[in-house]
Amino acid sequence: MSTTFKGLALFSSGPHRLTVSRQGQLVLSEAFETPPAPGSRYIGPVELRIEISGRLIAASESALWLLRDAMTAQLLDPPAPGLLVDSHGRNFADMSFVRFAPLGPVDRGRMLSLAYTARFLRFRQYPQ
Amino acid sequence: MLIISPREVAFGGAVWTGIAAAVVDRSAAQTIEEFGENGPYAAFADVPRQRVRVRIVQDVVGEEGHTAPGPGQEAVLSITMAQAGRPRSRRLSTKAVILAVEHEVSLKRGSVRTITLAAVSIDGAADPITIESL
Repeated sequence: MSTTFKGLALFSSGPHRLTVSRQGQLVLSEAFETPPAPGSRYIGPVELRIEISGRLIAASESALWLLRDAMTAQLLDPPAPGLLVDSHGRNFADMSFVRFAPLGPVDRGRMLSLAYTARFLRFRQYPQ
Repeated sequence: MLIISPREVAFGGAVWTGIAAAVVDRSAAQTIEEFGENGPYAAFADVPRQRVRVRIVQDVVGEEGHTAPGPGQEAVLSITMAQAGRPRSRRLSTKAVILAVEHEVSLKRGSVRTITLAAVSIDGAADPITIESL
């Protein structure tokens, strides 16, 4: 199965990998507080952050732009959360697509391709 | 591609003589190898940048001094070669820039000059090497 966001197979044109970033408490050092202290202060659990790194692959310039446009069309303002499902069927609910970043220019070889990262956040609260 | 004893090799207006062989090598200047989440093997590979090098191996007799080719010179390189079993010749052409001119001297082989050239595409998309029948 392919990775989907809101039921859309945005990433299926090429190989991609999904990384679930660190989870747990956001902890700040008290060393720079007034007065300084040797301990740490917990702020609360960090937001769930998922990065997908992959490559869009197409046979033509226009086909590659279709893939890019389909991706960036999901970068909504304000963000609208949806279900992210990885290629092994793991569900991540309430995820917002917040960033699409090409990792360089389009590579033109046998195929046209573009390496990218896509970032998803589970915001702590809506609206902000 | 290996061309043994081509009939004629010309670089711009100069005809290079005593050519033992001409070689066209192609290699990847940049490769892409992408892996997915399904297993250990690459799921996509491509070569978005290629280098095409032409090497001319020339037997050098006598002194040439400053008329010898030098790095940075650009011209159309044409190599005329015979076709086995056919009366017509073929000509390989490419716009090329000389990258290196190196000599090897030995008692056994005498003086051998190797000229290495970068083949340059007209527009970056077309193969820089063209071959035509004469």
